[in-house]
Amino acid sequence: MSPRSAFLTVGATAPFDALLSAVLDDDALRALRDKGYTHLEVQCGKTQLPDLAQVSSAPWHTQRQGVDISLWDFKSSLSEDIKRADLVISHAGSGTIVDVLRLGKALIVVPNTALLHNHQEEVARALHERRHLISCSVPDVARAIRDLDTSSLIPFPAFDGSEFQTILDEEMGFI
Amino acid sequence: MAALAVVLGLVLLTITRAGYVYWIHRKSVRRVARPSSTSTCAVSVFLGSGGHTTEALQLVAGLDGSRYNIRAFIFSAGDSLSVQRASSLSGSATQLIEIPRARRVHQPLSTVPRTFFLSLFGTIRLVVPRAGQTPLGDILLMNGPGTCVVLCACVWIARFVGWPTPRMVYVESFARVTSLSLSGKILSPFVDRFIVQWPQLASRSRFAEHRGWLI
Repeated sequence: MSPRSAFLTVGATAPFDALLSAVLDDDALRALRDKGYTHLEVQCGKTQLPDLAQVSSAPWHTQRQGVDISLWDFKSSLSEDIKRADLVISHAGSGTIVDVLRLGKALIVVPNTALLHNHQEEVARALHERRHLISCSVPDVARAIRDLDTSSLIPFPAFDGSEFQTILDEEMGFI
Repeated sequence: MAALAVVLGLVLLTITRAGYVYWIHRKSVRRVARPSSTSTCAVSVFLGSGGHTTEALQLVAGLDGSRYNIRAFIFSAGDSLSVQRASSLSGSATQLIEIPRARRVHQPLSTVPRTFFLSLFGTIRLVVPRAGQTPLGDILLMNGPGTCVVLCACVWIARFVGWPTPRMVYVESFARVTSLSLSGKILSPFVDRFIVQWPQLASRSRFAEHRGWLI
């Protein structure tokens, strides 16, 4: 199996240390390694985890459970990291979800239940039901990685602006 | 006594006029077919920052440039990031208009009336016609959050006065699957088209139209 890479992003708006801990846990790392993901890139945002105190914008490298891990806090654009990854594990921000799915990547999404008025779960669950991604809770991340079958995921449709144009055409009397 | 009668009379007139204007617009048929196939429609787009900006830019990116031109991007005070992101879609004639925020993120609702009115005073100039043209063009596209309510209120004030106004199109975010956003709930009776992207939302408002995923 050729070496594969996973990318974990917790987002830039709110911290999500629970997800960081879950993926950097031995169980999840072993699951990644067993599936052939020997490299893990991590965007960790503003974290308070004591282990990650030295993480900044300059990548900090470490190795655990046979996985090479690279951690940094923020970048202005994640598209290069998403493109390089074979698997993305992400918080459930809808913008990130659409970006990842449109780049054709396998995606495991973890809604942050600590957020107030959390409607992140809505879109994660709806897309999971349509099999465009896997949505799971923080404690189930290792299992989701282990059970992941990327061939069962349904590709997300490309952008098609025609319906929106139709709505405006209706308003303006073109049709 | 006479003063009271005058005041009551004015209030009644205002209410009647407002009700009539609202009724006329709710019943308005689509515009007649445009007389000239070469005329383009001017679209102004409100960029609500963050995911709202992303979705709004995506929606207009797919528009036929021979029919639609973007007259203006409207952004909230302090949101320079949205302006940067809109630059690739901005033509030389595209205006970038800044308006005061109606509500900051997580601002307590009890303090909103004050910021709402400040925003209203700072936004009303957008609906005042100049040389017979409305600065907002033919279509005003919105997708949240709260400052859209101010824009919508300004458009209705203009309609009350009898000035030309754009058609207001509100597209609820792709992230809203089972529940409407607060601005969506407030605006749904007051925009000309209220579009939702998930079928479950179609039943949440009688003004909602489900047209599938637009982003």
